Amino acid sequence: MKNDKNIIEVKNLVKHFGGVYAVNDLSLKIPRGEVVSIIGPNGSGKSTLVNLLSGMVEINSGVVILNDAEKLKKIKSYEIQDLSITRTFQEVRLFEQMTVIDNLLVVLTNRSVFGSFFEVHKKYHLEEVERMLQRVGLEAKKNQLAKNLSYGQRKLLEIARALLMKTEIYLFDEPFAGLFHAMIKTVSGIIKDLRKEGKTVILIEHNMDLIRELSDYVFVMDEGSLLAEGEPDSVLKKKSVIEAYLGK
Amino acid sequence: MNIVPQLILNSIIAGSIIAFLAVSFNLIYGATRFFNMAHGTIAIFGGYIAFFFFKTLGWNMYLSAILGILAAGLLGYIFDRIIYLPLRKRKASGMIMLVASIGVFTALQSLIQIFFTSEFQTLSDISVHDRLYTIFGATITQTQIYILIMAFIVAICLIIFLKYTIFGKAVKAISDDEEVAKIVGINTNKIIGLSFFIGSGIAAIGGIAVGFDTGLNPTMGMKLLLHGISAAIIGGVGSVYGAFIGAFVLTFVANFSIFWISGEWQEAVAFVLLIIFLIFRPRGIIKR
Ligand SMILES: Nc1ncnc2c1ncn2[C@@H]1O[C@H](COP(=O)(O)OP(=O)(O)O)[C@@H](O)[C@H]1O
Ligand SMILES: [Mg+2]
Repeated sequence: MKNDKNIIEVKNLVKHFGGVYAVNDLSLKIPRGEVVSIIGPNGSGKSTLVNLLSGMVEINSGVVILNDAEKLKKIKSYEIQDLSITRTFQEVRLFEQMTVIDNLLVVLTNRSVFGSFFEVHKKYHLEEVERMLQRVGLEAKKNQLAKNLSYGQRKLLEIARALLMKTEIYLFDEPFAGLFHAMIKTVSGIIKDLRKEGKTVILIEHNMDLIRELSDYVFVMDEGSLLAEGEPDSVLKKKSVIEAYLGK
Repeated sequence: MNIVPQLILNSIIAGSIIAFLAVSFNLIYGATRFFNMAHGTIAIFGGYIAFFFFKTLGWNMYLSAILGILAAGLLGYIFDRIIYLPLRKRKASGMIMLVASIGVFTALQSLIQIFFTSEFQTLSDISVHDRLYTIFGATITQTQIYILIMAFIVAICLIIFLKYTIFGKAVKAISDDEEVAKIVGINTNKIIGLSFFIGSGIAAIGGIAVGFDTGLNPTMGMKLLLHGISAAIIGGVGSVYGAFIGAFVLTFVANFSIFWISGEWQEAVAFVLLIIFLIFRPRGIIKR
């Protein structure tokens, strides 16, 4: 493992859609191996930040620096696994026409195309997927099409898919939203495990109890910029933060 | 004399040829979501390459056929690399891709005309008579039997291949959500390129079959494609299995329509069937 302190640094990042500045001159540093929460009112640019970091939208200006070394002005979505980044979506995106198990197996594809050509998934791939399904409690659903899952099951499957990518950085965009208690426990357990394994998690979340429970550090965004940052307890008490939330 | 057995055989033979086009069309459509209008002419191109090696150079027939298939596959792959891939990168819509493929179609058809003239060319050996077989009073040539067996083998292999290989799963994932497929580390451009290679190669088997069955001319690619697309839509756009079924539904309905309307309307019947499907069951027999 490298000793670089910041696994991701974002410098003067800007993203606008027409006249709307979704991310506006944002700078922040994310230390390796921590769970960092990003909070802020709806429309403050949290999802856009995740989209920028995962190459889903193009950066207008600014840079993303990985491991205090690699400066990126452009991130391509098909390269993020090589950058050791994975993500989930606020609006879950699965391969709807594929079975639950295939949604996970497809992540374990051979990187060389010709390698994938005649190769069938191996036993250890299947075992790995089965273990993952057990961990998120979807083993009974494995042969169903993804589109037939319930809302919560869909969220869990998407998280499982991200975990199987085995990256260093996990971007979770509101993974708890709309989940019931048991599933919240599963997801928070996963995040705690990732932290134990030394992975870095960027968590977008609204529930203050979960933020306190899970995160080492909190960034508060408002209108595309940074409003506050710090340890959860101190940040959540700040007057400006409370106002930003209540003001909307 | 009972004409039903002959109609059944004719439908199966025509269906087999269309199946090559329809199945491969749907493979490419599944990965790229656009109507590749050059697909039929690529099939014909494969037929002409086989013709060149077999008839012009006098090479072995099977080797010539394989070269035709590989050449068409390669051409499909090259078109993807130099035309469709750059368009995809610029996030071109399916309509723009379709128009681009019409350009490819026109250029390729002209090239075939330049190199092989517009005359009818046949791959079969005229000096040797094709063996005829009679089944329930209906006749079928040996060539046609080969075509029919090939169609079933190719379709079944492709279906199994797509169902079980990692490649097949990747194609399905791209078809479902290309952006997310990229995010999870699937090399979408390479997989799509390979789909073009395989799809164009399979189409070429259809082109070569036509060359042996009735003969080739440069402009027949579009007609073949329209039948292939109709079958693909009737069976379910994007579904390889559906396309195979669709090919036979199409030819059976067209052939058997002669009981109600004159045979010269067969072509029209095929498209009426397409329209009926577009209106009442746009996602085809095999819903995806
Ligand atoms: N693809 C897009 N096109 C246009 N506007 C967008 C797009 N994505 C986000 N926005 C706008 O950017 C702003 C920030 O949105 P978002 O990042 O989703 O906020 P959050 O996730 O914090 O709720 C909003 O005003 C939103 O309407
Ligand atoms: Mg959001």
